[in-house]
Amino acid sequence: MPRFRVLQPATVEAAVAACAASPGARYLAGGTDLIVNLRRGLGAPGALIDLSGIGDLRDLQCAAEGARIGAGVSLARLVADEAIGRLYPALREAALAVAAPGHRNLATVGGNLCLDTRCIYYNQSAWWRESNGFCLKHGGTTCHVAPEGERCHAAFSGDLAPALLAIGAEVQIAGPMGRRRIGLADLYDEDGRAHLRLAAGELVVAVMLPPGPVRCAYAKARVRGAFDFPLAGVALMLELGGGRLSALRVALTGTNSRPLLLEGTAALLGREVRDPLAAELNKLVQKQVRPMRTTLTQSNYRRIVAGALAARLLVSLAA
Amino acid sequence: MTTDTAPARGVPLIDGIEKVTGRARYTADLEHRGAFIGRILRSPVSHGEIVRLDVSRARALEGVVAVVTGADCRHPYGVLPVAMNEFPLAHDKVRYRGEPVAAVAAVDAETAERALRLIEFEVRELPAYYDADSARAEGAVRLHENKADNLERAVHHVFGDPAAGFAEADLVREAALDCAEVNHAQIEPHAALAEYDPLTDRLTMQSVSQVTFYLHLMLARCLEMSESQIRVIKPFVGGGFGARVEVLNFEIVTALLARAAQGRVLMELSREENFLTHRARPQTRVKLKLGLKRDGRITACECEVVQRGGAYAGYGIVTILYAGALLQGLYDIPAVKYDGYRVYANLPPCGAMRGHGGVNTRHAFEVLLDRMARELGLDPFEVRRRNLLRAPTRTLNDLMVNSYGLGDCLDRVERASGWHERRAHMPPGKGLGMACSHYVSGAAKPIHWTGEPHAVVNVKLDWDGSITALTGAPDIGQGSSTMVAIVVAETLGLPLDRIRVIAADSAVTPKDNGAYSSRITFMVGNAAIDAARQLKQRLIVAAARKMGQKPDEVECVGGVFQSLVVPEAAMTFTDAVKEALVDQGTLTVKGTFTCPPESQGGKHKGGAVGSTMGFSYGAQVVEVSVDAATGQITVDKVWVALDCGYAINPLAVQGQVQGSVWMGLGQALCEETRYLEGLPAHASLLEYRVPTIVESPPIEVHIVESIDPLGPLGAKEASEGALAGFAPALVAAVANAVGVDMDALPVTPDRLIEALVELRRRARRQAQSGAAP
Repeated sequence: MPRFRVLQPATVEAAVAACAASPGARYLAGGTDLIVNLRRGLGAPGALIDLSGIGDLRDLQCAAEGARIGAGVSLARLVADEAIGRLYPALREAALAVAAPGHRNLATVGGNLCLDTRCIYYNQSAWWRESNGFCLKHGGTTCHVAPEGERCHAAFSGDLAPALLAIGAEVQIAGPMGRRRIGLADLYDEDGRAHLRLAAGELVVAVMLPPGPVRCAYAKARVRGAFDFPLAGVALMLELGGGRLSALRVALTGTNSRPLLLEGTAALLGREVRDPLAAELNKLVQKQVRPMRTTLTQSNYRRIVAGALAARLLVSLAA
Repeated sequence: MTTDTAPARGVPLIDGIEKVTGRARYTADLEHRGAFIGRILRSPVSHGEIVRLDVSRARALEGVVAVVTGADCRHPYGVLPVAMNEFPLAHDKVRYRGEPVAAVAAVDAETAERALRLIEFEVRELPAYYDADSARAEGAVRLHENKADNLERAVHHVFGDPAAGFAEADLVREAALDCAEVNHAQIEPHAALAEYDPLTDRLTMQSVSQVTFYLHLMLARCLEMSESQIRVIKPFVGGGFGARVEVLNFEIVTALLARAAQGRVLMELSREENFLTHRARPQTRVKLKLGLKRDGRITACECEVVQRGGAYAGYGIVTILYAGALLQGLYDIPAVKYDGYRVYANLPPCGAMRGHGGVNTRHAFEVLLDRMARELGLDPFEVRRRNLLRAPTRTLNDLMVNSYGLGDCLDRVERASGWHERRAHMPPGKGLGMACSHYVSGAAKPIHWTGEPHAVVNVKLDWDGSITALTGAPDIGQGSSTMVAIVVAETLGLPLDRIRVIAADSAVTPKDNGAYSSRITFMVGNAAIDAARQLKQRLIVAAARKMGQKPDEVECVGGVFQSLVVPEAAMTFTDAVKEALVDQGTLTVKGTFTCPPESQGGKHKGGAVGSTMGFSYGAQVVEVSVDAATGQITVDKVWVALDCGYAINPLAVQGQVQGSVWMGLGQALCEETRYLEGLPAHASLLEYRVPTIVESPPIEVHIVESIDPLGPLGAKEASEGALAGFAPALVAAVANAVGVDMDALPVTPDRLIEALVELRRRARRQAQSGAAP
């Protein structure tokens, strides 16, 4: 574990100022991702800016006209919130699918959205990575997953992002230039080494949700029913009108370097949710996801299971 | 004889309260203020000649008190006297990524780690082999000069007439099954605390060992010290499963550092280093051929096993022998041919793991037997019943079988699971499967032949009336100290709380070979009973003397010494103790146990491996639900019956049976090691997927008591026998549920989906060709 100072600001503005004053500093929320990586020598920030003392970040409001979830709200609290579960079931299901109860007590909404991308060549000890000549994401020049390629293929592995994308969330960001609000999809890039579109010193402050209830669900493929990051995770939101599909949003995690908002779903609208439609969605998902050899589980399986889960969610949500 | 429910005589482990309250001190918890901190430099390459190893800059770093390298230990070590080909720190060559090369002790961890980075290490790389086939290929560079084709050991055994057996069979089938390498993943990481006193030239070693005696031997050998100057103590140990069943390089390295530092050194390995230390179940390919009569009777068995053993010998010879020997002892098989190959590869060395050697061959055997039964239209239970042994008997390979409760085990799980009523009517995606297994109750021939008894227990009685059993047997969580307390208490007719057990401290307790091959209950249990009987006799003689009675007319019941002739002549335990100590003082009696020669296996080469005083027998039924879209298998329930001879502590037996089934579940469903060019990609508890509580099914345990004539109170082993049956029962259940025969373990979702995709493809092709004219 590298040595670092811990700063404990009381407001978002103070946190931003502290970050600006300490080059290389990192924001620390629950620490369930960051600290594990630091222990493995992935990064050596001179300072960690502990956000846990900032009351505003823990604010959670959820009502019929929409929800605002502070980035510091823990996943355990999100799971326990009755209104969230009722109005945005996919969000509760996604939060409940993260790691294990102990992690969820610490882990936060903002932390899960800003989770570092993961790869079997990256999430290893310093000895391991050095023995392997490091990698494009950290310390090296080659991506061992796709040595011919130009970019890092580490996979985005947060569970909340697809649920929030399907729900249609926006995020509020604070930084040295003030606050801004963007659609969640705009927070991400398809680049495992730099998947977050956050400028230096910026942090996610809150997530804003449209009015509920939203007809949505989340399903996660993994080997074990706890701990494991998603091999593929699928969130799906739909609306029905007269028995026909009138709105559909599908988002995925674990298959790309960013949470993927599925394109081309408009072509499925206006139809009854029956067998050929589910199979078409399955195909659409399989066509767009790009799982690479970033996990020990075969990437082809991740493609197949992503499609299968999307099809299953479509049928079960429409029922 | 069987019991319908676990008898009420079970008791919690005598050290359970210390564990659940957190008072128990494991090695890393021991007081180590002022101890130096040890760290190990490990090879970054898989195979190569060491060109340069310069530790001078590390040694010069302030705060570094000792640096040791291969030059500090000129003796190879290893668990088998015939196969010591490993050094605690590499000499000349490194043979796997992660092999220890040098070690540092410093005032703190940060300094030790900084010192490691100052060590200059250069290697001329050699070709590396990560699978058995390439290691055995023509022209492959030898890992060890004296081992052609990188073959550590080839075993060729033939018993009976296999050719005649196959000729006689109505159905002959073959299968090739792959079992991935797995690891013990014991929860307590490896640690050692060594203290060297330069004034007395004495070394005290506290470690996570399952084999404190072997550790004692190897420390003396590697440090060139007299055994008498060494003391080995086993603190609380958080699980073994075979991980600590041979002396491990870090233990010797810690001692080398302590001597070099002239002080105390604490070494704690990271989880990654635990996986690098490894010594677990090897990746195995089993090719199996069975012959069956139409009624299910086995006529012959032919089996080839290839184990990828890793870079050093370790237990390898024993593992490859077990894999063949344990083909027998479960069923009556008239002819067996076995060819085993233990192969070196540039990976962390494999070793012993729960069910040592037998698990993967048993898996293949049960899976093929099940498939052939299906082809013959026989019920899986029926085909097993056709092939039962009749005890007492000796197998073709001369293994002694005196008690045999497999038939009862089959009856119990068949009934409990509702097998016949339910199996034919399972809903879509649900399936039932079953399999059998067995395991030895201790290897009857010790690794180090000394002529000593197989077990010695001292029981001390003092003026205060307390009874202390002293045993070298390391309790590693399996409950061996509780077992000793119970048999001593039962023999003496005293309540359990009067007995204390002190275990595994070489300065205090008699030597014991250790916690492996499920030997402790049978051997140490019998020795403890022997000691307790002698003590009881001393007390009876004393009481009789005082009461003016004849010793053979006095009995001890519930702690009271009672004349069988004169009803009013009775004496309390306390008074009997006082009388017994007159002219004698503190009494210490010694009990021993020796495995008789007829238990020690056949005369053929390697015949000692597999030999035992008795086998435990198990049968289990596994119920699964399979999600054909995701490949996810849910184990809904397991019914398991184990013949452990007699359950000395039914509560502990139940726990051990559940634990072994659960470990089988891990190997069957999700556990496997994965190396990327020799680097362990699985070396964390996130990537090495031990089942969580979510995957853990209810495991209903049925205890079958066949009362072994030689076992302590009739007992045999209970901790390993049920493991090997789980995976084949699961594979059978999956076949029952979705119609695919899985040939590889673990049955992960990706493997199952691949098999289902292939099954559908084949069905389509068949439909198309069937439709064509």
